[in-house]
Amino acid sequence: MSCSSVDLKAYVYGEDAGPIEEHLRSCQSCREELERLRVNHTALMALEQVETPQRIAYISDKVFEPRWWQAIWRSGPAMGFASAALLAAAIFAHAFTRPATVINQPGAVNTAEIERQVNTRVDAAVTKAVSEAEARQAAMFAKNLDVVEKRFADKQQADMANVEQVVRYYEQQRSRLLVAANDARGGGQ
Amino acid sequence: MIFREVEDRDLIAKARRGQVDAYNVLLSRWEKRVFNYLLRLVGHREDAFDLSQDVFLKAYQNLRKLDDPAKFPGWLFRIAHNEAYSLLRKNRPEGELAVEPKTGVSTARMYPMELSLTVERALEQLSADQREAVLLKVYQGFKFEEMAEILSCPVSTVKSRLYTALDLLKETLAPVNMGGAE
Repeated sequence: MSCSSVDLKAYVYGEDAGPIEEHLRSCQSCREELERLRVNHTALMALEQVETPQRIAYISDKVFEPRWWQAIWRSGPAMGFASAALLAAAIFAHAFTRPATVINQPGAVNTAEIERQVNTRVDAAVTKAVSEAEARQAAMFAKNLDVVEKRFADKQQADMANVEQVVRYYEQQRSRLLVAANDARGGGQ
Repeated sequence: MIFREVEDRDLIAKARRGQVDAYNVLLSRWEKRVFNYLLRLVGHREDAFDLSQDVFLKAYQNLRKLDDPAKFPGWLFRIAHNEAYSLLRKNRPEGELAVEPKTGVSTARMYPMELSLTVERALEQLSADQREAVLLKVYQGFKFEEMAEILSCPVSTVKSRLYTALDLLKETLAPVNMGGAE
């Protein structure tokens, strides 16, 4: 046994055990205990240190190389690029898939719609062309009518002038005849 | 030892700057000590090797968190302690390692291999806490304060575990100590 105030185990194992040397010189039991502790330590150090069954893998070994997705995950700029790419893909996907979610049969309805629009435009164009042609014909007819009416009026005026000339001629002839008749009657008396 | 500390510090600084080769050198310096510590704790060679692998990987991943490179040994063994106890808790939920039945130590003359096996058996008879205290103090040379940090307990607890363990070992190995060892 050793003295309770002396920490021989701490002393053996290199810890601060206080001023112990002087006590050991005067205490037989502590010297014997110290010797037992040292022998015990020597026995403990006989424990064989075992070699590792194989080398511990280095960090640079192939087994620790990150997979491609881990490398991307750990890379800030690459992650930013990947995020932008994903966002762009999402926008495109949304743009292309959205009509399909609104209309059940997009192909048929689109064709009908296009056909309807085309027909409307064709009808409008035909109506416009017909109306323009009709307008042109009406204008032409009116113009021709004016010409004809003018000609008719001129001819009528000319005919009236002829009739008046003929009437004047016959009145002159009648007057002459009347004069001649009167002259004849007056000479015969 | 001073040279080794200085070189370890240098290697740690280089490893923290991303020089993997420096960490590889550091690993090769410490792998045997860590492996033996884990082997005595978990008692199984394969488990000890796997744990060693995990310890050095975690140490590398967390090397930047090490405030003082001079504390690398204690920090490394704290990781090893945590890894070992995670495994022990998983394998033995009751939290106590099975204690092998006591076997008498022959007083006959022993060869080094026999003596090593005797010490190994004597260590196995200790509780896990006691054995770990012996491993850290006797075989790894840590100070009480460092052991307290590794084990996350007060220095008084560390000393209590160690002293009890040393008394038990002295008793178990008494026949050897009385003249069996060569």
